[in-house]
Amino acid sequence: MSQTMDPNNMPILSEASVSVEIETEDMTLNIGPQHPSTHGVLRLVAKVNGEKISSVEPVLGYMHRGYEKLAEVRTYPQVTTLVNRIDWVSGFANEIPFIAGAEKLMEIEVPERAQYIRLILTEMARISSHFVFNGAFPLEIGALTPIFLAMEDRERVLDLLESVTGGRFHPNFNRIGGVKPVAGAGPTTKKDIQDLPAGFYHDTKVAMEKVLKAVDTFEDLIGGNEVFQARTKKVGVLTKEVAEEYGVSGPILRASGVEFDLRKQSDYLPYDKFDFEIPIGENGDCFDRWSVRTSEMRESAKIILQAIEDMPSGPIQAKVPKVIKVPKGQTYVRAENPKGEMGYYIISEGGLGPYRLKIRTASFSNISILPIMLEGALLPDLIAIMGSLDFVLGDVDR
Amino acid sequence: MKILKESGERKTLNQSDQNEFINSIQSSFKNTSYNFDTLKINVNLSSWIDTHKILKKDFNLSFFNWLSAVDWDNEVKTGDAPKEPVTPSFEILSCLSQTNSNNLVISSTVISKENAEIESLVDVFAGANWHEREAYEMFGINFLNHPNLTKLYLPDDYEGNPLLKSFELISREVKPWPGDVDVEGMPEDSIVVEEKGS
Repeated sequence: MSQTMDPNNMPILSEASVSVEIETEDMTLNIGPQHPSTHGVLRLVAKVNGEKISSVEPVLGYMHRGYEKLAEVRTYPQVTTLVNRIDWVSGFANEIPFIAGAEKLMEIEVPERAQYIRLILTEMARISSHFVFNGAFPLEIGALTPIFLAMEDRERVLDLLESVTGGRFHPNFNRIGGVKPVAGAGPTTKKDIQDLPAGFYHDTKVAMEKVLKAVDTFEDLIGGNEVFQARTKKVGVLTKEVAEEYGVSGPILRASGVEFDLRKQSDYLPYDKFDFEIPIGENGDCFDRWSVRTSEMRESAKIILQAIEDMPSGPIQAKVPKVIKVPKGQTYVRAENPKGEMGYYIISEGGLGPYRLKIRTASFSNISILPIMLEGALLPDLIAIMGSLDFVLGDVDR
Repeated sequence: MKILKESGERKTLNQSDQNEFINSIQSSFKNTSYNFDTLKINVNLSSWIDTHKILKKDFNLSFFNWLSAVDWDNEVKTGDAPKEPVTPSFEILSCLSQTNSNNLVISSTVISKENAEIESLVDVFAGANWHEREAYEMFGINFLNHPNLTKLYLPDDYEGNPLLKSFELISREVKPWPGDVDVEGMPEDSIVVEEKGS
């Protein structure tokens, strides 16, 4: 090397300026949109000072499909196909508030049996969504095993959903006034379920017992793990005041100590007929958010087991006109989805489709908290915090 | 290790509490309506911010649910026009709720299309930030005193405001909705016809 160097052009060392105090600039770190822990295509522009995050700006829109605009050119029965795809991890639950809103405007009384079927399938969607969370969250912070257990158990629940609706992720099963009719469906008795597949009663019982066992396993395997506890306890603490101001809902809000669950407080489905508890967290950290969701799975399984026992007989579809026209009016109907509050503000002008449909999704408000929660956090905690929020990009971008 | 407490008392729907809340809102605000289980307050543009401050402080509506807008117009490029003529305008809607009951209020105000601007709610509810950015890009409504009024979903160089009723849905122009027209025959069908004719 010294042979090729021209001695006349050598830098003079004495002239090189060395500052005594080393000043560092914040580095801009782009996370996503293809990062696996972003659950889709979320991009975070983080300014980091060493390992410390000084600010974060989420960049959205990589999956914006414009469902609010598309709903304006569709008829009411067609909209359920769209809303399935908002939060695809729990597609069935997305249909409920929209259908309930349209039924409210049309003043249709839904048969009890249809409501029970809706309730059972909604809770199954909740269980399958929380299974995904229980697999993905530990995976993101370094535990590989739980995802294999969770996916196997989730498959059992998805099989049940598929056997009733025909779809694993996008059931499109709800109809205005009831649920999808099945050939040969009619007035049924409890044990002789015709509009549900043969063996549904038995299979559900078996699957729910396995869910209850899986929850015990997860609480032991994940919650009892010292590394998991170290990574999640006292990390990403969210106070209830900030959560309310940003509209953060669902298990995240409950983990921060707010006793609010629309299943108890609203009447969109007959939840008041069943005994179940609402798990509430105390510290509002990542561990509580995991814990609340995991306990919720147990409650959901309990609800399903009760609903299967009390399943009323009767029709599954109310009488509705052949061409669905929703009278003029405006209503907001919301429901407790696995990820939080989901609601539809329907403005009907008496046509075949809505004049305007505002879709309120849980994940959108839930991740609007990210810039606040991540400010001052450590970079490894970013993954833990994001994972604990359990968002789906389809639910954010709509 | 027990970090969860189960809420012991079973909460059930309390209809009388809800009626009391609706009555208190209706006695405090002049222009209210209660249809299809949805309580709506129509407020003047000038008292938009103050109304939200009152609702948050005096009525315990501390949960910021959502904010959005509606484009009221008689000439529409997508969907159906309103059956009865409306005054072309933007309606801004916001939704606040309580976290200990099912009580919920929709606030509404009307702004003109020519001068589409309104005070930002960010100082009252920090959560309004993203919702207002969405309304800004989708409708072209200017939120005054907003800390960062930039596009949320759309690319920076995107032109137009997609949720306006005057904004065409391009896919419908390129390819008609299959339900509107008869589906064209398969290519094989036309070959068969030619063979018969020859």
